[in-house]
Amino acid sequence: MVGKKKGVPEWLNSPLWSSNLSDDRRSSRYETITLSPEPSSPPPAPSRPEPSPSRPRLAGAQRSEIGAHSGELSPSWSSPEEESRESQLLADFQITLSSRIINLGELRRLAFQGIPHGVRPTAWKLLLGYLPLDRTLWAHELEKKQTQYHTFKDELLLYPSEITRRMEGSAGSKNEDLSCLGTGLLSRSKIIHGEHPLSLTKSSVWNQYFQEAEILEQIDRDVKRTHPDMEFFCGGSYLAKSNQEALRRILIIFAKLNPGVKYVQGMNEVLAPLFYVFRNDPDETNASHAEVDTFFCFVELLSMFRDNFCKQLDNSLVGIRSTIEKLSQLLKRHDEELWRQLEVITKVNPQFYAFRWITLLLTQDFKFSDCLRIWDTLFSDPEGPQETLLRICCAMLIFVRRRLLAVGFHCTTENYLTTWLQFPKVSRVELLRFIRVLFSDETSAHSSMGKLRWALISAYGAMSGCLLVSLGLLKGGSLLPNTKS
Amino acid sequence: MVLVLAIGDLHIPHRAPDLPAKFKSMLVPGKIQHILCTGNLCIKEVHDYLKSLCPDLHITRGEYDADARYPENKTLTIGQFKLGLCHGHQIIPWGDLDSLAMLQRQLDVDILVTGHTHQFKAYKHEAGVVINPGSATGAYSSITYDVNPSFVLMDIDGLRVVVYVYELIDGEVKVDKIDFKKTANTQSAH
Repeated sequence: MVGKKKGVPEWLNSPLWSSNLSDDRRSSRYETITLSPEPSSPPPAPSRPEPSPSRPRLAGAQRSEIGAHSGELSPSWSSPEEESRESQLLADFQITLSSRIINLGELRRLAFQGIPHGVRPTAWKLLLGYLPLDRTLWAHELEKKQTQYHTFKDELLLYPSEITRRMEGSAGSKNEDLSCLGTGLLSRSKIIHGEHPLSLTKSSVWNQYFQEAEILEQIDRDVKRTHPDMEFFCGGSYLAKSNQEALRRILIIFAKLNPGVKYVQGMNEVLAPLFYVFRNDPDETNASHAEVDTFFCFVELLSMFRDNFCKQLDNSLVGIRSTIEKLSQLLKRHDEELWRQLEVITKVNPQFYAFRWITLLLTQDFKFSDCLRIWDTLFSDPEGPQETLLRICCAMLIFVRRRLLAVGFHCTTENYLTTWLQFPKVSRVELLRFIRVLFSDETSAHSSMGKLRWALISAYGAMSGCLLVSLGLLKGGSLLPNTKS
Repeated sequence: MVLVLAIGDLHIPHRAPDLPAKFKSMLVPGKIQHILCTGNLCIKEVHDYLKSLCPDLHITRGEYDADARYPENKTLTIGQFKLGLCHGHQIIPWGDLDSLAMLQRQLDVDILVTGHTHQFKAYKHEAGVVINPGSATGAYSSITYDVNPSFVLMDIDGLRVVVYVYELIDGEVKVDKIDFKKTANTQSAH
């Protein structure tokens, strides 16, 4: 990256980022250089997944009760200063959230750095626009939404036989009771509106039921497959089953309310973190309404990304293809060499990797707890999560650039896929050290944003370079300080 | 919500070439969970056709059936209901309620499905309900005049059953229904 003004900083080319430390196969290929990169860029604010540790280490009380039912979060690891930063952040959040009218900008700014576990449900609800900013309106809003959801459940989750029974109920008819004495012919009655199970008319409840049966089956299957490694979803316990049932209901209602999109495989993955977070709300009342809240927040979230799921829009200006194209352009702007490698030399179709990242909002590519952390940052973007998402994706690519570039001309798509499907794990200690080095050399935090970034970096020491890069892209559009994108 | 088709006495190919077209267009695979066939299909092709509608097919032997291996009667449990199946030519007098009631008590079922008379009937007596789906092709019968093609679809939902009767009258499909429910299982079982 010599001689490039807006190129990728040298530290990224360090083998540290490109080799999997437990991956013997590759490590031999790389010379080990000492860790003294030029601090050419202020690694922007952290928000890295891997250090989910630092987050949950907040107010002990909250942690323990979260720990009780969310054993999936990795155990904490933090130094005393990190702990103090954590509690500082938590305190900040609590202050922001306790004011009568919540300052959304402030909340966003704080959310960007990662939301402490206990506050996350409320923060997410605010960021997604589900809860109004005025605290006093919360109770009313929540009640309204609950009634709405129950109406949906009532109307949409019925079998056709129940629907027809309701229709008759209003028309008034009687039932024969088998047990009552008497013999004789059973009386025949007329059917309502020509509704019978074999009806082929479009408007028939039965016909619609059978046509939707396929979608329902699909939803069923996907729900059962959601996060099989997590006790919360796939344990044998009664709770896990009820969680799955809740997911199922939400997806069915969503599919019925949105005939344009219906259900697309992958929606369950986007839904799972939302439900998990809301269900594990330390506030018991909130947790009990998790299903309702999740449904509406899911609707909000998907509305931002709806175009990605709509098949007809695939090739249009707003569809998934153009989003992937935007990602490609973003990559080109920031790392031309890598872009050329991918697009021109090896002609790897970005759909192979980017599609999943974008449509599933990175849920499949990071650990669950890390994914929650990433979503904090995604939601904090005032312009909507899509921009942030693209930048993170771009960063992910740049992060493994060395590997990708090394794969070479002859290699097939599979090699590329295996390369970036395996995201390198870097030891936390080394990362921390690396950041400290950068921190101490930082000279040009010319904006308050820059200063903020620095503060955050030291607060959240353990992180991977990926998010360093991504946040550089997020905030300044460039990885180098003093340049504007 | 389980859909059970009760059908029988088609007498293909001896007395009828095929099901009426309007019936055939309605009977599509994927909707029905069980088929109870009273018998007198009579050939294997009809058996295969019914099997294609639903893999869970139960047939009892009618006197003209080519396949001699079908049982004389059958019982099965669907949801909360016990159903019995028998062609009905064995029960004399043919179509007599009391004799059928005896068979029902013998089989100890809530709903007995029989055929042979080629006429749709739904009886109720203390022991339970007897349903005769009639002849799906409207085949000739020596004991019934003016046979209309008919069959029955039962929607079993918990303790309630909705019986939909499909008849072809003057070339048009007419659908009626019969609603009944049984009380929760008691000692007497009926």
